Amino acid sequence: MSSPVAARFVGSAVHRKEDRRLLTGHGQYVADASAPRMVHAAFLRSELAKARLNSVNIEAAKSAPGVIAVFLWSDFHEKFGEAWHGMLGEQLVVPPPLAIMDVRYVGDPIALVVAETRALAEDACALIEVDYEPEQATVDYASAAADSNVVHAAWGLPSNVMVEVPFTPMSADLDETFNSVEHVVETTIVQNRYLCVPMETRGVLASWTPGLEELDLIVATQSVHETRNFFARYLGLDEGAVRVTARDVGGGFGQKMFVYREECAVVLATKLLGRPVKWIEDRLENLTSAGHSRNELGKVRMAITADGVIEAITVDHVADVGAYTPCPAVMDPTLLPGPYRIPRLGFSTQMVWTNTMGKAAYRGPWMFETTAREMAIDVAARQIGMDPAELRRKNLLSLAELPFTSPGGKLFQEITPLETLEQALGMLGYDEFRKEQAAAREQGRWLGVGICVYVEPTSMEQATLATEGATIRIESSGKVVAFLSTTSHGQSIETTMAQIIADQIGVGYDDVTVVQADTQSTPYGPGTGGSRTAVIAGGAAHDAAVAVRDKVLAIAAHMMEAAPEDLQIAEGVVAVRGTPDRSLTIKEVATQAYTNAHTLPVDVAGGLEATIRFKPKRFPTWSNAAHVCVVEIDPETFIPRILRYIVSEDCGKMINPQVVEGQIFGGVVQGLGGVLYEDFRYDTDGNPQTTTFLDYLLPTTGETPLIEIGHLESVSTTNPGGFKGMGEGGAIGAHAAVANAVGDALAHLGVNVTSTPLGPEQIFELVQASQKERA
Amino acid sequence: MKPSQFQHHAPEQIGEVVGLLAQYGDDAKVLAGGQSLIPIMALRMATYPHLVDIARVPSLSAITASAGSVKVGAMVRQAHAERHAAVATVPLLAKAIPHIGHFQIRNRGTVGGSIAHADPASELPAVALALDARIEATGPGGVRHIDAADFFLSTWQTALDDGEILSAVEFPVWGAHSGFGVEEIARRKGDFALVGALAGVTLDGDRVTRACITMIGVGSTPVRCHDAEAALIAGGATTDLDEIGRIAAAPLTPTHDVHASAAYRKHVSPAIVRRALTAALKEARS
Repeated sequence: MSSPVAARFVGSAVHRKEDRRLLTGHGQYVADASAPRMVHAAFLRSELAKARLNSVNIEAAKSAPGVIAVFLWSDFHEKFGEAWHGMLGEQLVVPPPLAIMDVRYVGDPIALVVAETRALAEDACALIEVDYEPEQATVDYASAAADSNVVHAAWGLPSNVMVEVPFTPMSADLDETFNSVEHVVETTIVQNRYLCVPMETRGVLASWTPGLEELDLIVATQSVHETRNFFARYLGLDEGAVRVTARDVGGGFGQKMFVYREECAVVLATKLLGRPVKWIEDRLENLTSAGHSRNELGKVRMAITADGVIEAITVDHVADVGAYTPCPAVMDPTLLPGPYRIPRLGFSTQMVWTNTMGKAAYRGPWMFETTAREMAIDVAARQIGMDPAELRRKNLLSLAELPFTSPGGKLFQEITPLETLEQALGMLGYDEFRKEQAAAREQGRWLGVGICVYVEPTSMEQATLATEGATIRIESSGKVVAFLSTTSHGQSIETTMAQIIADQIGVGYDDVTVVQADTQSTPYGPGTGGSRTAVIAGGAAHDAAVAVRDKVLAIAAHMMEAAPEDLQIAEGVVAVRGTPDRSLTIKEVATQAYTNAHTLPVDVAGGLEATIRFKPKRFPTWSNAAHVCVVEIDPETFIPRILRYIVSEDCGKMINPQVVEGQIFGGVVQGLGGVLYEDFRYDTDGNPQTTTFLDYLLPTTGETPLIEIGHLESVSTTNPGGFKGMGEGGAIGAHAAVANAVGDALAHLGVNVTSTPLGPEQIFELVQASQKERA
Repeated sequence: MKPSQFQHHAPEQIGEVVGLLAQYGDDAKVLAGGQSLIPIMALRMATYPHLVDIARVPSLSAITASAGSVKVGAMVRQAHAERHAAVATVPLLAKAIPHIGHFQIRNRGTVGGSIAHADPASELPAVALALDARIEATGPGGVRHIDAADFFLSTWQTALDDGEILSAVEFPVWGAHSGFGVEEIARRKGDFALVGALAGVTLDGDRVTRACITMIGVGSTPVRCHDAEAALIAGGATTDLDEIGRIAAAPLTPTHDVHASAAYRKHVSPAIVRRALTAALKEARS
């Protein structure tokens, strides 16, 4: 009986519901929470990348001022049960909360000190004496597979290979193609290790209440529900005995999607002590001991015809997963051909352990396929003497030729790769730029343009990810409360979901309150990540709002003695179509629904509430974008500077353009940071070298260019709103766009850029090496 | 990243400061703006049971101009010095300050604290060295003066004796037809310089009558480039400044860190010197 509703709020940049509290410093993060009798935790962490623990002496620490308890592995042994996360499955077990006999990376937790204050806990950590027996660490992932020095030898593993997929041709004529084309381009692309770096570090306030036998967690997480399920299993409790909340989370980017051993240790501590324990990770810990990301390489081969048609692409891929990986998410090689018409594909993959911090998901965890392909395309363009924009143009898919099934088995539809490239190049004035670049080179200035085009699989279906839920209730006041399955960590979910709900019910945006991230009031959700909220949670919010609207109409029809299909709702008023003086406010309907439900027809139960789960029609929901970046490199100092940054994107129907652009801004800054500034380094013994913001450099506003955005809207049919996910694309596209711009700026010097980072030192070395080679 | 427990002392007279330093010896550290000391303590790279906070000693916050020099008290905030009328007569100091960190840091950071901390990539030690400033040290034996040339011994090491505090710095005022330039390269605005150069010249027509060139980020202390200064004075204002840059860079033995190799630092040094000198000459001519 629902009729389509004209969007009033969807599509407009309404003010963000989150802004008042966040921008005035009233966000509620874990550090803001407290509990009676709360005590504070600090970890003593390994200073060595690989060592046996001969002994750990905690006697002095136990009697230090303010210390409540000092825990070692032996205190936690056999105090917990299953330790696996619903999205990753039973095979991937979270490592023990504290090191058992040995340490395998710098930062490996050895002891947990609980004290009256964090400072006193740190004082006590300094009193713990660890007798290490150092061993040689394995740090270089490119050689780790062949290294006989095995990271997990103590588990009896024979090598450092966690997962290996031997070379798999996805097309029968792969070899013939490489043998028959004019150009075979072969290059090894290397992407450096850089990190999520959320503004809010990890943190948890864990409260076990003896007698009640209940666990309450306030935690910086992307998924309250999966955190609850995890700890229910971990402590052998019913899910109902565990409550997890996360009022505000200051960024996650994938790092907070899963459960970490530190959180396990804090939960065990509160259980053993019977009092609330709070752990707020400090920045040193977050940089060294929260999940690390990127750090992958691939030998890419491309077969290209004389006129620039890419006939095949292959990759031999290696990814570093560190010692213990919170989420072994690496490149998806089946996405390697991206949004191109490339008919043939082959790949091999190797995931290797090293004595470094483990791999975690990071905004577009599969994205090395884009980095590898797009950087390799620029290498190819230089090699075959074709303009990189032209080479892409020749091979990119356009909307008109879809659907298209890629050799990786991806069915592309409703995407606009060529169209976004043309829009972005038009925004730049690509041909004019090439003239400007040539003139600048005459003057000794190094300008370059970089392009990256990609297709983004959003709203994927793996494991728990396929559905989200929403409960929407119109209260007796007529106001709307939506209980969503999401856990926002900065996605403006309260805003965008309220826009959808207000439109579908027919009430004001300000009449809708969104509640999320509380396991005791909201429907189950797998966690916010993977660019799933607009499509899947948005679908749930949409459908639940429609269901509630239908209840309003049913009751109003009874009250007005009209047919429901003759009614419409606008701005909180139910009226008979064409007869606006016959109307009721939603509040009047709600009063009827709640306080006079006995007068309703027998088949109308009363109340105005609906719970709906939503699953998209297909997986994934594709979105796409093209990035174009212009850099200038100072030929004397080798300092790169971004002059222009352009994104043309297609995320389907936009719920809120400001939120869309905010997502792009944030993602682009993370991507350009990974090329120009951010680089997490270990020395050859596995000692971290960039452990503070003095050495791990984040781009700030000063380094961030104006980001110009063009929008295309090809509507998705996977969900009722026509939305597509777009949370990760900025970070996916920016890396190769910036790296390619640097490469283009140096191309006339004979430099071939194939790896990142590209700070002044690396650019200097590339130029020096090229000059030596030419001399 | 919490400092271990310390006792905070807040004396109001310089004599009390010196007394506390004598009383607690190595257990005490002077706290000025705290922009280096507090992070070092939070990271537990150093532990001091006693901090002697000099913010409440009025005499340490004074800026006094006299014939030929400006005396800046140790506790004068960098942001305050940058805008002070008397400091305008020491343009190199005023030009160098905006390169220090970010404004929040300069609001708390002090002139004396930065010089006493003696980080080889910091701007203010280089200003002192370039201008032949005099460091005023106050200790149990009273006040003594140390030439900037003798003050910086190595990274974070100065000629201050145990129990002495840097109480003020006297910066010479250069005469008419002088110009100054500060040039540095950093990964991001506000970061420590990978390499920096601070230069000053006084002109008499095309004759260079006075020159100073100091580099930062290229050794364990700021480095005064005497040979380059002499070559500039000998060659005059029309000298090939690239050549002056090469002379300045030739003896440098920079170190490496995660941000730049020694080879990079050495390679870019001549251009940085040339840029600083170009700015200084331009200002001197104007």
